[in-house]
Amino acid sequence: MEFAPILVYSVISLLLSLISIGVSSLFASSFGSAYPEKLPAHECGSDPFDDARSRPDIRLHPVSISSIIFDSEVTSLFPWAVPPNKIGLSGFWSMMVSPSISTIGSVHEWKKGASDWE
Amino acid sequence: MFEHDFPALFPEIFLINATIILLIYGVVFSTSKKYDYPPLVRNAGWLGLLSVPITTPLVAVGSPLAVANLVYNDSVIDNSTYFCQIFLLLSTASTTVMCLDYFKQESSNAFESIVLISPPTRSMLFMISAYDSIATYSAIELQSLRFYVIAAPKRDSEFSTEAGSKYSPSGAFPPGILLFGCSMIYGFTGATNSEELAKILTGYEITLFGAQSSGIFMGILFVAVGFLSKITAVPSHMWAPDVYEGSPTVVTASLPIAPKISILANMLRVFISSFYDPTWQQPFFFRSIASMILGALAAMAQNKVKRLLAYSSIGHVGHPSIGFSCGTIEGIQSLLIGIFIHVLMTVNASAIVLALRQNRFKYVADLGALARTNPILAITPPITTFPYAGIPPLAGFCSKFYLFFAALGCGAYLLALIGVVTSVISCFYYIRFVKIMYSDTPKTWILYKPMDREKSLLPAITVFFLTFFFPYPSPSFLVTHQMALGPCL
Repeated sequence: MEFAPILVYSVISLLLSLISIGVSSLFASSFGSAYPEKLPAHECGSDPFDDARSRPDIRLHPVSISSIIFDSEVTSLFPWAVPPNKIGLSGFWSMMVSPSISTIGSVHEWKKGASDWE
Repeated sequence: MFEHDFPALFPEIFLINATIILLIYGVVFSTSKKYDYPPLVRNAGWLGLLSVPITTPLVAVGSPLAVANLVYNDSVIDNSTYFCQIFLLLSTASTTVMCLDYFKQESSNAFESIVLISPPTRSMLFMISAYDSIATYSAIELQSLRFYVIAAPKRDSEFSTEAGSKYSPSGAFPPGILLFGCSMIYGFTGATNSEELAKILTGYEITLFGAQSSGIFMGILFVAVGFLSKITAVPSHMWAPDVYEGSPTVVTASLPIAPKISILANMLRVFISSFYDPTWQQPFFFRSIASMILGALAAMAQNKVKRLLAYSSIGHVGHPSIGFSCGTIEGIQSLLIGIFIHVLMTVNASAIVLALRQNRFKYVADLGALARTNPILAITPPITTFPYAGIPPLAGFCSKFYLFFAALGCGAYLLALIGVVTSVISCFYYIRFVKIMYSDTPKTWILYKPMDREKSLLPAITVFFLTFFFPYPSPSFLVTHQMALGPCL
């Protein structure tokens, strides 16, 4: 039931953002009749010289993959962090296994240079 | 308590630690400038191979040859898991031996492909001893993940990339079906543990018409379909030939060996001890017939060696399913013998294909005149493939005979008949090997480089076993009988 205000809040914020976009278009001058110089892509004043397509950078993928991995790590650490006094030492150590294995994984990633960004 | 399980979990703990040490060792030294960035594949391969003979005695010592439930009833140790685990470790060792020379020839520097052998071995050990549907599922996923990775290691090869991208969705689909089945069963019974499921489902009589619980029926059906698709039984075999052909030969060699043992061991646990019921036998029955027929007929039309191996392995999935369709102790025992001998034969065939692959050994016709260029190697395929076909004084005949005997003993006459007919059909392409090797004279003679010593041991040992299985089969019969009693009792 605590989620009902959040739902109302998100609807209101959606409306508010739509209003603030809409109001500016009401008062804009010369709407729809811009100079052609205003339309091309902004590349420091000159025309774009090469193809707009470029090879995707592979270095972006290790970043996103490792953030997915560590997100799931954090997800599994949340329920562990809440009742630490109820699970005792065996709970503590069995939970320490999983971060240490992901530490090994990140050591591998680090030594491989997957997180280098020269 | 959990603390007392550690002695029984020693093999798994050792494998995990060995993997970690090997991974760190490999990554530190392969990127070290001081040693001039050494390729560590062979080195890591030997170290990884070394971890197997250490794990095997740990399995042997850790299991007191008695029943023990571990990790809050999530896994179980008894005779059947014990022997299956040892067999799995031996087959892993043979896979690693095959890898040793391969990566050097391919000049591949990814030592991770060797390190990636140990984690799935550990999860297959867990899978064999899994006693809970959640444990089963997580173990299956862990072992398949590795194969998705190593099916596509060659970035410059289109075939390998295609195989990898075909394998990961089609390999991830069956566990999804399995998971849906498990959740149906859990939803309708409220239990995931095998023992509790066995108690709940005893005498449930889940027949299709007159169903008492359609939910449980659907659950068992989905679990059966998921498992059967994972071992490429026929209606869901489509990815297998492409994946087997496209992925590197070591992967092709290891795909039908270790995962099949572990999945079949887990299927025994799930289907024989948890849902012992005649209804799930119908999918097994039909898929067994379909696998045998398609395996035999489609393999006749193949010209490429790896596709031929794939279809032959699809056809051989039909044989364990015969054992499942019987559901008797003899049926399960014959299934286990069948797996044992099938794995030996596959190890042999894969080692030979790997040894010959250096000169682009791709088509069956490339074997031409092997009897003259390499006469001793040419003796090996007949000894290996004739048992595949089931020709008398060899091991494969023994396993097939015993399977059909069990099928007849439980009244599955149709299965035995189709099994015999498809074996006769499959003789065609096994004999074709011999014809090509011994009587064809090809235009271009292909001279193969000699095998390396490690790999040559594999065909030698397996040929010895396959030839001399028949004179003294009692140890394996005794062991498999013991194993069959595990899930049945």
